Amino acid sequence: MSAQHVLFAAVLVCAGYLCLVYVSYLVLIVVGLVESLVRRSEARTHDYELLAESRFTIPVSVILAAYNEEPAVSTAVRSLLAQEYVELEVIVVNDGSTDGTLERLVKDFALEPVELFPRRIIEAAEVRAYYRSADVPHLLVIDKENGGKADALNAGINLARYRYVCGVDADTIFSPDALLRGMRLVMSDPAGIVGVTAHVAIARDPSGAMTAPHGRRPVDLSPLLAYQHLDYLRAFFNNRVAWTRLNFMLCAIGAFQIWRRDLLEELGGFAQGFTCEDIELTFRVHETMRREGRPYRVLCLPDSVGITEGPDTVRKLVAQRERWQRVIVETVWAYRRMAFRPRYGSVGIVGVPYYVLSEVLAPVFEVFTLVTLAAASVLGLFDWQVFLLVTGVITFVNAAMTAAAVLSEDLHSRAYGVRWLVWLLVLAPLDLVLYRPVMFWARAKGTWRFLRRDQGWHKFERNQRAESAA
Amino acid sequence: MVSSGPLVLACAVAALAWLALSLLVVVGRVGHDLRRRPRDGPAITPRRARALRRRARLHRTEAGRWRRISALVELARAGHPTARHHLYRRALRSGDVDIGDAAVRALGLLAPTHGWALDLLIEALEEDLAPRSRIAAQLDRLAPAPGWRLRALLSDERPIVRYWGAMLLARYPTLAVDRLRRLVGDPDPAVRRAALETLGAHGDREALAAVLGCLDDEVMFVRAHACRAAGRLGGLAIVPRLLPLLADEEWWVREATKQTLRAAGEGVASFLVPVLEWGDRFARNGAAEVLQDLGVVDRLMREQPGDPLLERILAAGELRLRAAAETRVGLVDATGDRDALAGREAA
Repeated sequence: MSAQHVLFAAVLVCAGYLCLVYVSYLVLIVVGLVESLVRRSEARTHDYELLAESRFTIPVSVILAAYNEEPAVSTAVRSLLAQEYVELEVIVVNDGSTDGTLERLVKDFALEPVELFPRRIIEAAEVRAYYRSADVPHLLVIDKENGGKADALNAGINLARYRYVCGVDADTIFSPDALLRGMRLVMSDPAGIVGVTAHVAIARDPSGAMTAPHGRRPVDLSPLLAYQHLDYLRAFFNNRVAWTRLNFMLCAIGAFQIWRRDLLEELGGFAQGFTCEDIELTFRVHETMRREGRPYRVLCLPDSVGITEGPDTVRKLVAQRERWQRVIVETVWAYRRMAFRPRYGSVGIVGVPYYVLSEVLAPVFEVFTLVTLAAASVLGLFDWQVFLLVTGVITFVNAAMTAAAVLSEDLHSRAYGVRWLVWLLVLAPLDLVLYRPVMFWARAKGTWRFLRRDQGWHKFERNQRAESAA
Repeated sequence: MVSSGPLVLACAVAALAWLALSLLVVVGRVGHDLRRRPRDGPAITPRRARALRRRARLHRTEAGRWRRISALVELARAGHPTARHHLYRRALRSGDVDIGDAAVRALGLLAPTHGWALDLLIEALEEDLAPRSRIAAQLDRLAPAPGWRLRALLSDERPIVRYWGAMLLARYPTLAVDRLRRLVGDPDPAVRRAALETLGAHGDREALAAVLGCLDDEVMFVRAHACRAAGRLGGLAIVPRLLPLLADEEWWVREATKQTLRAAGEGVASFLVPVLEWGDRFARNGAAEVLQDLGVVDRLMREQPGDPLLERILAAGELRLRAAAETRVGLVDATGDRDALAGREAA
């Protein structure tokens, strides 16, 4: 067998992989669009005013884990305290920050140290102090030894009093109706819905973006931020929303994840042996409920509930995405037994294999495809015209998928101004050249770090913000 | 060699798909912005009403299902005479959660002017035709109209209906106190809890006797609600009856007790002092926490730092209660460093 034959076989494998992935993407886009339209119709008939004021609206404990979030934390807490929700408590957990996170909170919310005697149903690192505010009685701050985000959320669960717990990130600002939107379906089926997540948008400075009027919200002009915005849209509208419809929603995001507290307690809270806690918990919920044959649903809503801070440099972006890739591989590896097992239903038969195909193997195949195509062209197996045409196909297929995600988002929210939508759509075909290489690198790095069993947090440094926002 | 023909076609199709979707986004959005009208438009025309009624009656497709849902709400919102009893009854009995939910919302809009809508809501609550919490929210908003109709729910044979009946009666102070008192002894713990919650809001001396009987209920959440209700009805007089709950094995009950004692105000302090010496650590901790929250610790620390009572409270509250109090009154800085604070003050 000559080298040319081997190369040709490699090209065929890559082409097969691409076809398989694109067909599955196409199916998911159609399903996601249907789900998005259904949710839109449903949201129109909901009586938000009644939910916002009724004493029968289910109360929620919001837990915000903060580690070195001094510039962002107060704005995030204020957005939570401003929720149009009848009964909630906000528990902020300072996870041993080494910057002025705690001091900022003490100053901004007039906190005073108090002693509490909570239960300790889930193990968490030592608590140093509790703080309460005379002005905001439903705010509680826990200052504890550093133990990671999962540990911080577990410390919050020990103090949570309400039936549903909403884990949020400190770098995210929430719209006033975020909880109401998140909980609206739970109130129709509190026995069945155990988890809810929703779309979170991205901006360099979330507080600035949040203050823009609805319908004219801007997108960052910086291509790096705009591509991240598109990436989020694809991940939510072409994937998670579709997974919800197919009943295998495999990732409730850390920035906004609502869980039924009794289930969290039963599962022992968030796991600390993983780089990130969110995907792992979602997999664990599916694994437990399916194995035990219990009815349940985990949903991703197409509603945009907040804006999170996106890295504004390539270095920070790579640090963030390599961590995400690492946790994806860690989780899929830990739950590999679910793949192709009929007892796990759509999660085992479709969800986990899809995750392996589109997330775990993607960095390997993405690099492999480009290298084999280039090598085949150099060796004369194809002419350069074919190489360029294949690149063109990949470019426009990706661009079309991105445009579908933009369409789904706009049909649902109508949040962004028209010129910003045009900006996003124009950027879409350049994604392969301007953004994908960074993603290839980050994902390859993440996979490599997984193989080296690195579980460090490598948190990206926060963007510089205007003083008023902080 | 690979032929480039299919690739050219694939590339063109993909590029056209991107262009078409992009145009759809922009044109759709511009159209939406131009179409946008204020919500309070003109009343529904007879022709539109006929179409809405047809849509609201039944559906065959998924799109038709959502049109049905919209039509049910739109007819009710306009208060149109074609919004009739049988239309909503049929929707409630469709077995579809979303349609049932929309019917509940529509009935909530119609109930202030149509008695049958109120009856249908109560029927839906009894027969579980839609999520009961949603129906209850509508009935609660309609208070005082449902009034006496809710009383019948208390004697229903289904515990869940009795539960919602008891919860909804919280808006009616005098309507069914006798029956609620009896429900405090209901075999179902959720019903007992609901009766306690409502009695706690509007009960009398006789109700208090029934509530106190639940303080040692075998079910944790009943004890917690009994504690809250007793606190509201009995004030300081019943505080000695509540103190043993500070040692309850369940955190929820201890929390409810502390909350109730705090709500009773500074008067509870004298009752709590003996608890500081109890053998149960939960009780000692709880008493110290309540005294801290009532401001007793800070006041003693500022005004009578050598008072033996202060030492007893600090001993019962253990190390961190002392540290927190010293920080609050300014004896130490936030890191617990007295010298650093003294140095800063001198500077």
